[in-house]
Amino acid sequence: MTLPQIIVDLMKLLFDLAVPSAICTMVLAGIALRREGGLDFQAGGHFQKWVLWSVIFLTLPQLLSWLAAQGITLPAQGGSIGSPWVMSLETSFTNFVSGVLVTRLVPVLAAFFVLKAVLDAAQGQSPLASVVTAIFLLGTSSTVQLMQSWNSGSQFAMTDMLSSIWNFLAGTILPEAAGIAVVGAILNYARHRPFMPLIGSGLAFLSVSALWKLVQAMAG
Amino acid sequence: MSFQDGMLNLTNWLGNVIMPTIAGLFAAAAIYRFGKAQPWQHFAWAGLASLMCSGLLRVLESFSNQAAWNNPDQFWLAVLTLVNWEGNVLLPLYGALQVVLSVVHFSGLLERMTIGEAWVRNLVTAMCCFGLSGLLRLAEFWIRNGTAGVR
Repeated sequence: MTLPQIIVDLMKLLFDLAVPSAICTMVLAGIALRREGGLDFQAGGHFQKWVLWSVIFLTLPQLLSWLAAQGITLPAQGGSIGSPWVMSLETSFTNFVSGVLVTRLVPVLAAFFVLKAVLDAAQGQSPLASVVTAIFLLGTSSTVQLMQSWNSGSQFAMTDMLSSIWNFLAGTILPEAAGIAVVGAILNYARHRPFMPLIGSGLAFLSVSALWKLVQAMAG
Repeated sequence: MSFQDGMLNLTNWLGNVIMPTIAGLFAAAAIYRFGKAQPWQHFAWAGLASLMCSGLLRVLESFSNQAAWNNPDQFWLAVLTLVNWEGNVLLPLYGALQVVLSVVHFSGLLERMTIGEAWVRNLVTAMCCFGLSGLLRLAEFWIRNGTAGVR
């Protein structure tokens, strides 16, 4: 069955807008991260949801290859968009994401979170949550590029990318956060607050992979 | 700019810039409270720990490196190493400090700071106030020489 050209163009449009959409969902994930605490996230919350959508957008072709392996064949996606109007839609959205969102809006959002960090500190709360969120927002486009490099290209690229994200957090980000835990422990000790939990957390940040192996061993 | 670089820079800034700066604040707070005959040791230890931030992180890393990354017992071994370090390193050092203090207290050397007259305490506080930067340099000297190990 031959699809009408407009349908083919719209399908091509949706696939071409996958990566810019992933950038948009990562920005939303950054805002959700602050809503859910900044230094932590809620299980099943909006942060997880938006990150999952980013992964889905980035592995859309591989998801379709899995569907094809199940016998659901889809029309070939190739070539360029025929309709100039549809092409202008793609160009406009891509330019909006790169020229407006990433270049102008995200730095302003990050600056507002830095301002919020100062206000948090004035209220007696930790400013770290807003600072980490600002850093997350400023690194949005490079994070999406990093996630694209984790695309294994296989039918299970989505779960492979989620595994790579876990490995990145456990092996790179959390060991860096262990240093922040040491700083927090010293400040808590000076303020006569419990500091041993932060020491234990620092050790745990350095041992996340081993803790995962421990849980797997417990589960049998 | 990447999230990883941002977090690394944040950690480095907190541990190597802010904490050594706050160490001076903690030392000043310790001197002030000492002058008021209030508990001051907390601030003194916090000031020393602020100068040793990166060293303390290296200590935690060495504890967690006692087993391979995929060893299920890695966390337990890290905690065990922490306990052993406390019992075999920190407590003997603290015990030696207590021996010194017991001799000092028995000899009556610090009596004028705790009983009756406060002029010795006030004199020592004044000396510390004027010599605070020297005290901080002394602490930094000890920490820098500490990297050479026990000699």
